[in-house]
Amino acid sequence: MIELSRVSKSYNNGRVKAVDELTLTVRPGEIFGFLGPNGAGKTTTIKLIVGLLRPDAGTILVDGIDNRKNPLAAKAVTTYVPDTPAIYERLTGLEYLNFIGDVYGVPKADRLRRIERWLEFFELAEAVAAPIQSYSHGMRQKIVLIAALLPAPKVMVLDEPMVGLDARSAHHMKEMMRSHCDAGGTLFFSTHIMEVAEKLCDRIGIIHKGRLIAHGTLEELQARDREDQSLEKIFLELTEP
Amino acid sequence: MRKFFRLVRVGLRVNFGLSLLRPKYLLENKRDIWLIPLIVLGIAGLSPVLFFYLKGIRFLYRVLTPLGQQGALLTFAILAGQFLILVFGFYYVLSAFYFSRDLDLLVPLPVTPVQVLLSKFTVVVVNEYLTASPIVVPMLVAYGVHSKAGFRYWITAACVYLLLPVIPLALVSLLVVAMMRFVNVSRKKDALIIAGSLILMGGAFALQFWLQRLPEAGPGRQAIVQLFTEGGLVQKIGAKFPPSIWATRSLAPAAGGGGLVPFLLYAGVSVLLFAALFFAARAFFYRGLLGLGEVTARKRRLSREGLSARITSGRKPVRAIFLRELRIMNRTPIFLLNGVLSVVLIPVIFILMAKAGGSRSGSDALQIIMLLGSADPAAVILGSALFMTICGCLNGTASSAFSREGAQFWMSQVIPTPPSVQVKAKFLHSFAIAVLGIAAAAVAAIVVIKARTIHVVVALPIALAAAAALTAIGMIVDLLRPLLKWTNPQKAIKQNLNVLIALFIGLGLMTGLTVGTVAVFKTGIRHELVIGGVGLFLVFLASACYAILVKIAARRYAGIET
Repeated sequence: MIELSRVSKSYNNGRVKAVDELTLTVRPGEIFGFLGPNGAGKTTTIKLIVGLLRPDAGTILVDGIDNRKNPLAAKAVTTYVPDTPAIYERLTGLEYLNFIGDVYGVPKADRLRRIERWLEFFELAEAVAAPIQSYSHGMRQKIVLIAALLPAPKVMVLDEPMVGLDARSAHHMKEMMRSHCDAGGTLFFSTHIMEVAEKLCDRIGIIHKGRLIAHGTLEELQARDREDQSLEKIFLELTEP
Repeated sequence: MRKFFRLVRVGLRVNFGLSLLRPKYLLENKRDIWLIPLIVLGIAGLSPVLFFYLKGIRFLYRVLTPLGQQGALLTFAILAGQFLILVFGFYYVLSAFYFSRDLDLLVPLPVTPVQVLLSKFTVVVVNEYLTASPIVVPMLVAYGVHSKAGFRYWITAACVYLLLPVIPLALVSLLVVAMMRFVNVSRKKDALIIAGSLILMGGAFALQFWLQRLPEAGPGRQAIVQLFTEGGLVQKIGAKFPPSIWATRSLAPAAGGGGLVPFLLYAGVSVLLFAALFFAARAFFYRGLLGLGEVTARKRRLSREGLSARITSGRKPVRAIFLRELRIMNRTPIFLLNGVLSVVLIPVIFILMAKAGGSRSGSDALQIIMLLGSADPAAVILGSALFMTICGCLNGTASSAFSREGAQFWMSQVIPTPPSVQVKAKFLHSFAIAVLGIAAAAVAAIVVIKARTIHVVVALPIALAAAAALTAIGMIVDLLRPLLKWTNPQKAIKQNLNVLIALFIGLGLMTGLTVGTVAVFKTGIRHELVIGGVGLFLVFLASACYAILVKIAARRYAGIET
């Protein structure tokens, strides 16, 4: 569903390699957790997948569509939640959701059903008619998540989605992620929370200095060393400076 | 003091983007290289204006010198500079003191409210040196050159200029700090900006009416003498605002009163007002600031029917994006003031100014306009079209169309809507605002200029074509170098260089077209053909510019890295 093939991206005229020949496949129905220290290249990879950055080299396929050759078709099957929810503060939550529904072409019946469902699920029904400007950080994160769920995309790409969410919301978030993939969708997300990655992800990738240094199921990662090692220990060992 | 200076240093770096002005960054940012010839061209284009300004100063100096009134020129420059700062300073002060996003970082730091406010005040002062410089600096320099002034003049002139923004800005700052403290505005900050701006505009109108009540000047040289000599307009206004007279006397002792004492008075008032601001900052600043950023809204659950009624369906992306633009523009006070309100207010100001003088038969402005109205119909049609175009396009809506999105631009890049459609929606929005200005100007043309309705109707499509071209040009400029990293919305529209670049290009285009049309008129070609030719040229220009805009959009939407 998501295929990155020898993808590279550098900054400062090639002096800083943010992503270095990254090759990775995320399969349909899979939750893929992307781990790495600060500045390892997680956000850059995510931005490359959703088309916010152009790779220097390599190809990225989303649902079999090359996101550079046919960006609109790739965007139509993907939704994205950034690490900081910078959204239209001057719109109400509902106006924002309507805007997303309009640009993704979501029919009214589906729109109503999904908005109702996710507003209840994320406990945002009472705030949806208020301006986003009045929302807390967590509420903004939730409205962006609902907007990302509204088109029922095949692929969801989330950059540290748990940041700013309270325990209950984080729990709901994990349920949503699981149900999305159980329904055949694909989910690619970055996180710093090892426990979440351990319990939720079907497969995990660890990126360090722009290179994918390990990936596989938790068991496969553990098999690299001793069976009983936690993901945190594996991560710390692999990303040692 | 060290903390204060550090805050000022950081403030200046943020305000002017100094950290990015190093050659290292400038060379890496090659996409802006095209700006260098444009800036050179802009400066070259402005040089005739400067030339005529300096020539005008020399003329006035020669007229006033035999009367011993040449010092009034300095009074005029200082007054004009300080008035300009007073008007523009209001937005800057309000925005810098209360609505810039870095306040969330500064308030928790171990610095006092006085240090925060005065550092921001200092940054605004530095900004205002730039605002006042086109008027004041040439006058100070020209006066010094013509009077063959000595070393003392140049030192004093530098000190006078350095202190120039302090008095008007301190006055505005005190007003703003007091207002923010005593008016309960924590939930009404948007309304406050609009109300404050309207009050300020009301003040400007009041000043306008007051000035028109002062003795009128006759024509030509006599007018200049009446304007600048003892008891004239400049002296009268100066008498109401003594710092300008003190500054004049410190620079030109011949104007009366000697040099040092007036300067000490001028500097003393500046220091006193600065001190007043110091105490106001200590007493009121944080009380007006803290909690201001909190926006509360009544939370209520919508019924299923209510929700269903508010959920739209089948709206085309172009309409959805148009509505988004409209809502964000109209709900952000700084955008609203600089977009919708300014296009309506410019013709309204024009009508009021003309009407205010219209009660007297001797109103020069109205006489000129009436003369124009009775002139060649072709000139009236093209003049009306020019007036409508200027009224419709003299705002930053198109040239900030992309910058206004700021940190939210990522959404425009990830949605599955072609850039051509997004640009179309933005174009329609900017053009709609231009049409609003054109409509207001058309009413002004009929009511004030007394132009015949048929002439205005003929001028309308020409103005619309020109507005379409200027809208597309403004959007091209902004798309090529969008200002997406801003800390307060003022930066996106009022302090955005793109707005200025687009304005220069627009004015250059209009000037070139006017000069060209006049030249064609002189060849004796039938005027109807000239009007038709101008219209066709503008339609072609608008189509070409729009096509270029769409072509660029496809590349830029993918190329802008957020």
